[in-house]
Amino acid sequence: MRLMVNGAEQEVDSGPLASLLHVLREELDITSPKAGCQQGGCGACTVLVDGKPQRSCLTPLASVEGAMITTVEGLGDAGELTAVQQAFYAKYGAQCGYCTSGMMLAATALIDATNGDGVTRQEIEEVMGGHLCRCTGYVKIIEAVEAASRGETFDLEELRRAGTAGGEETMILDTGGQS
Amino acid sequence: MKAVGARFPRYDGLLHVTGRTRYVDDFKVPGMLWCRTLRSSIDSGRITRLDTSRAEALDGVYAVLTHEDPDRNVVGHLEDLGVPPDMPLLAEDEVRHKGQLIAAVAAESEERAQQAVDMIEVDYEERQPFLDIRKAFDPDQPQVTPDGNVYFYDPYDHCRVRKGDVDWAFEQADVIVKGCYRPQAIEQAPIETQAALAIPEADGKMTVHSTTQAMYFSMGIVAKFLGVSLNQIKFVGGTVGGGFGGKVDTAVEPIAALLARKARRPVKYRSTREEEFLALWTRAPWHIEIADAVSRDGWILGRRTLTLHDAGAYTGFSAYGAMKHLHHSAGAYTIPNVFMNSYVVYTNHVPTSAMRGFGVTSVSFAVETHMNRIAGELGISPWELRLKNGNRIGDLTPTRVKLEDPSTVPTILACADAAGVELPSEYAQMTPGERSGELLPEHLEDQLGKADAWRNR
Ligand code: FES
Ligand code: FES
Repeated sequence: MRLMVNGAEQEVDSGPLASLLHVLREELDITSPKAGCQQGGCGACTVLVDGKPQRSCLTPLASVEGAMITTVEGLGDAGELTAVQQAFYAKYGAQCGYCTSGMMLAATALIDATNGDGVTRQEIEEVMGGHLCRCTGYVKIIEAVEAASRGETFDLEELRRAGTAGGEETMILDTGGQS
Repeated sequence: MKAVGARFPRYDGLLHVTGRTRYVDDFKVPGMLWCRTLRSSIDSGRITRLDTSRAEALDGVYAVLTHEDPDRNVVGHLEDLGVPPDMPLLAEDEVRHKGQLIAAVAAESEERAQQAVDMIEVDYEERQPFLDIRKAFDPDQPQVTPDGNVYFYDPYDHCRVRKGDVDWAFEQADVIVKGCYRPQAIEQAPIETQAALAIPEADGKMTVHSTTQAMYFSMGIVAKFLGVSLNQIKFVGGTVGGGFGGKVDTAVEPIAALLARKARRPVKYRSTREEEFLALWTRAPWHIEIADAVSRDGWILGRRTLTLHDAGAYTGFSAYGAMKHLHHSAGAYTIPNVFMNSYVVYTNHVPTSAMRGFGVTSVSFAVETHMNRIAGELGISPWELRLKNGNRIGDLTPTRVKLEDPSTVPTILACADAAGVELPSEYAQMTPGERSGELLPEHLEDQLGKADAWRNR
């Protein structure tokens, strides 16, 4: 079967009832969607199917034939972060990061649907309420989505230097973080 | 000190927002097998038959693990601290809780491993479970362990803190305020379930990718189950998709490693959400009773407590958790006369463990709720009650630590400020400094002197 993922056509072997999550992670090595529960409860496996958020763990492969699938790996242009990604980074919307892919894709779909008018806290809570995060307490996530919906952008270089006023060198950031 | 007070971006934030952080489940190696487990469907009983032969014969199955496989099947999480080991990694002749591990399978896919698990035959002779910690001292209840339902802290069946003269305090009291508090079990429920990938290396060593929150601790545990020295194991970790205490238990690493050794292939064990909730350790439920001897003007003269900690079916970390709990049973307040006991009670629940302030959050909840209850009964402000009794420099804790820098007063003042509460000026201007004047009544003056009075009674 053929699949369109992040703009590229992929040939996959899994059967029609295999979950899209399994196909992405195990066959295509696209690992940003996470297997948090594999029963539709957490939202960590969310991907965009033709621009709409969908839980890939409950999505049979056969139902997405010919659809455009987007994961975090396919957000924005190469080397550039989208407004949503920038905001999640700058406003501490990601802590352990395990829910982050699903959160960002749900936020991306919500903001895209509003054509840049900005979204309210209530809309965010309604649309993203089914996404579980155990780390942040949600406040930082909501603030990140609000910022992104207002089109706020952040100077990443500036952020990298944050907290080092006075000319001290960054130590942790310069190592590039984890593997 | 340029870093303190400055806001840093997360060191791993860019990896998170680009989906590039590599968690344990994101690693894959050639020839990798998947693990699924067979767990007890009953709370308590004898295993009368365990037959894995059909599972072993299934195509695509590379190893089936039972209690016969580990070099040591019973390893205590705190055995190096003198807490006797009691929990088998894989159940042998009995199960003591629902979800207890009995067998594990490594197969070419998760589906195949699950099929094999479903083919394992197990028969039980069910026993009446013991589930209510409040009945811990009732000899007619089912006994969870051969030694009874209470952990033995040599030389007592409980851990205890004694200070001052608690009988004196209760004789002096104008009011005795009693309360019972029962915080319940909570699953840590990180979005990343516990996972491990064990890779047997060509030189006989074992590499383990782990979600543990406690690398060296988990390495030690795995080494014991495998019967090898630490230099035969390499752990890769530090990238954790949420832990909250639940990932100190080293639940999946030994299974993945033993299966990998037996199958001579890499094995990934990603626990399911059901396993997280049903079988992996939770925060403990507690039963906490407090009785305080209080004077009408708001001094807590003495405190008696009795705590029952639900350890679940095995000791795990409970001996430590209940002790830490006990040492915090006066909260952030100076109570000169205490008589406090804490019991670790075995039940046929899933074993309990760390979660966010292991043992302390439960007693903090009880103590702070109790403070409000005292204030209510005396008809005084709960803020003033807390500030008056709050720890000060020079005060002695129940375990006789002389406080040098207690933060009770500034913390409570900050809370009052955040809550928009106006305090009378003598409270609003309080500092953590040494007690004097009205804040040093006679019963606190001689808290040092009375500290050992109980010994002479
Ligand atoms: S993994 Fe799909 S919703 Fe949790
Ligand atoms: S950041 Fe850890 S679960 Fe959301």
